[in-house]
Amino acid sequence: MSRKPVDIGDPDRLYTVTGGRSEADDAFDLVTLIVSECEPTAGMQSEHVRILELCRHPTALVEVSAELKLPITVVRILLGDLHAMGKVSARHPRAADSVATLPETALLQEVLHGLRNL
Amino acid sequence: MPVPARPRQRRSAQKTGSTPVVFPAVLVVTAAGAGAAVGLAPEGARPWVAGTATAAWVCIAAVVAFTAARLRKAHRQTVSRTGELEMTKNNWSQHGAETDQLVNVTLPAVAEQLKNGVGADKVLAGLPTPSDPYLRRMLHVFTTEVAESVRRTADAQSDLDMMRRELAKGTQELERLTHDTLPAAVSLLREGSSADTVLAKLDWPTNPLLRSPAESFIRELAYSERRSAAAQAASAKALSRVQAKTVGMLADLRDMQDRHGGEIFGDLLRLDHSTSQLGLMTDRLALLMGGRSSRVWNKPIVMESILRGSVGRIAAYRRVRLHNSSKASIAGFAAEGVMHLLAELMDNAANFSPPIDEVHVYVEERSAGLVITIEDSGLKMSDASMRRAEESVSGQVTDLASLQGTRLGLSVVGRLAAKHGISVNYRPSSRGGTGVVVLLPPQLVAQQREPVGPERPRPGADLPAAAPAATPASAAVPAPVPAAEESFPVRTPQPAAPVDEAPPVDMPRRRGAATPGGLPVRAPGRTMAEAERGRSKAAPEPSRAEPDANAPARDAGSRFGAFHRGRHAGGNTDGSPAAPGEDARPETGPEADG
Repeated sequence: MSRKPVDIGDPDRLYTVTGGRSEADDAFDLVTLIVSECEPTAGMQSEHVRILELCRHPTALVEVSAELKLPITVVRILLGDLHAMGKVSARHPRAADSVATLPETALLQEVLHGLRNL
Repeated sequence: MPVPARPRQRRSAQKTGSTPVVFPAVLVVTAAGAGAAVGLAPEGARPWVAGTATAAWVCIAAVVAFTAARLRKAHRQTVSRTGELEMTKNNWSQHGAETDQLVNVTLPAVAEQLKNGVGADKVLAGLPTPSDPYLRRMLHVFTTEVAESVRRTADAQSDLDMMRRELAKGTQELERLTHDTLPAAVSLLREGSSADTVLAKLDWPTNPLLRSPAESFIRELAYSERRSAAAQAASAKALSRVQAKTVGMLADLRDMQDRHGGEIFGDLLRLDHSTSQLGLMTDRLALLMGGRSSRVWNKPIVMESILRGSVGRIAAYRRVRLHNSSKASIAGFAAEGVMHLLAELMDNAANFSPPIDEVHVYVEERSAGLVITIEDSGLKMSDASMRRAEESVSGQVTDLASLQGTRLGLSVVGRLAAKHGISVNYRPSSRGGTGVVVLLPPQLVAQQREPVGPERPRPGADLPAAAPAATPASAAVPAPVPAAEESFPVRTPQPAAPVDEAPPVDMPRRRGAATPGGLPVRAPGRTMAEAERGRSKAAPEPSRAEPDANAPARDAGSRFGAFHRGRHAGGNTDGSPAAPGEDARPETGPEADG
């Protein structure tokens, strides 16, 4: 037997965490702030519990991902579940709101051209 | 011819008895008659008559004389014949007496003597010799023949005795060989001794007829044992490489999953699933071949991870519904075995139920240990197949020869169950299919349930780990108090300043469970962790002040960590009891330590 170092990771694979899903909805941006709406209850998936605890204060998705040591996609799927159950709410950063007020891309390109032509 | 002639002779002899008197009388009478005839005849015829009468008398005299001579001769012959006859009769009777003596007396005596072992020559010498040569010869022949047959009989008897002795000896040796030697030899061979060792060590029969087949049997058996051992070792070695490769692949896949998103992520998950299934198959074979599991965990694994780790290894993992609210952890040394065992049982349940039905897994905590129930809604197992399954999972039959093609999984379950003292029972499920009840004994559970104290508030029957802190703060938030947090105070080496919440029910136990020197005493049926907990019960509060560095593992590192924390705890003893916000932290502890 090759005596490899003992495992220090976790035995559960990511597809068991997501229940076999690999497609996340796009409702969550990397910087979307997540806030938990309720306390975790008994019998919940441990990742859900941890997300709910972590997001008592608004926390960005990417932070949740880092804290849980899970890939972004997996966290998105989990958050999607919680969101669907109404246990978390997502606050999109204000910058996202201002996207609509930004100048048109064409205008910016014109400005760029003008600057280059200087 | 002389014998039939005899009566005639006798008669004639009796007749001839009177002839000597008769003959002269006839001659006289005839002479007188002739004289009278001559006297009576006329004168003229007288000469003629005289002449005729004389001639006639002469004739008669001649006839009479001849007859008389013949008669005398016949009489003499008769007399001699009678003498001969008498002699013959005497001989005959003597002969008969001798024969009689020979048959009735001599021959039995001879036979007796010969039987008693007297030599033939001696017997002959001691016997009266019969006068008749034929009898003599017969006696001689009889004696030698009987002597010969007596000798042959004795030889045959001794041969028979020898045979009987040999047979008895052979039977005895055979019995010993069958009942003692061969079983001993077989068990020695199974333990790995070589044929020569076994042959030299044990007491083998001396009879070559028994010895040589026994020897060849032993050599053949040793050969096949060696062959199967070599095959097993080779398979185990080869499988261990596959296992290592699989574990490496799983680690790589996990890395890739961190790096890639989108479609690649889904593909990686599929690969991950396939690799996990491959790992299960490899582990199954490796265990059957006497190898080891592919992974070893160095920390307790919480029940949720155990269940996920098992379900992730089977093909139909999406059909398995886990119902788990237990926060208990399985000790690291047993975690892989438990996961494998559950995976096999879930795989079995999923394979033998319709592909649209779900398999439900329930976890309950009982005082006897953790009870995991796997229920499918497939066909009910027949009594015979349930008995077979029970037999397989009992772990009593670990011989590879008992393997059946499709029942590898259950045999592995049996081995794992026997190894860890897990009990696995089949029963009909209330859902319509089959249920498997797995009882994990308390020594496999790293986090023991708190003993049920009457005065201790119990937030929920299924949340035993939430109990230790009777402070309102943690009682208000029972659910997140993780198993890992509980296991920490257990390892606090120093009893710090006692706080008010030490349960009174634990105090007597603590005192009773320690030696005068202060060492913990483990009562039967309790794990070391529980015993230690009793000893250090006074120190949960200070340790809870530093919740984030909990080390649930039973390793040296966690003990150093505990020591370190204990050292720091001095300043924090009176400090904050666990705040609600911190309750979340211990959950991250295991990962953080990992």
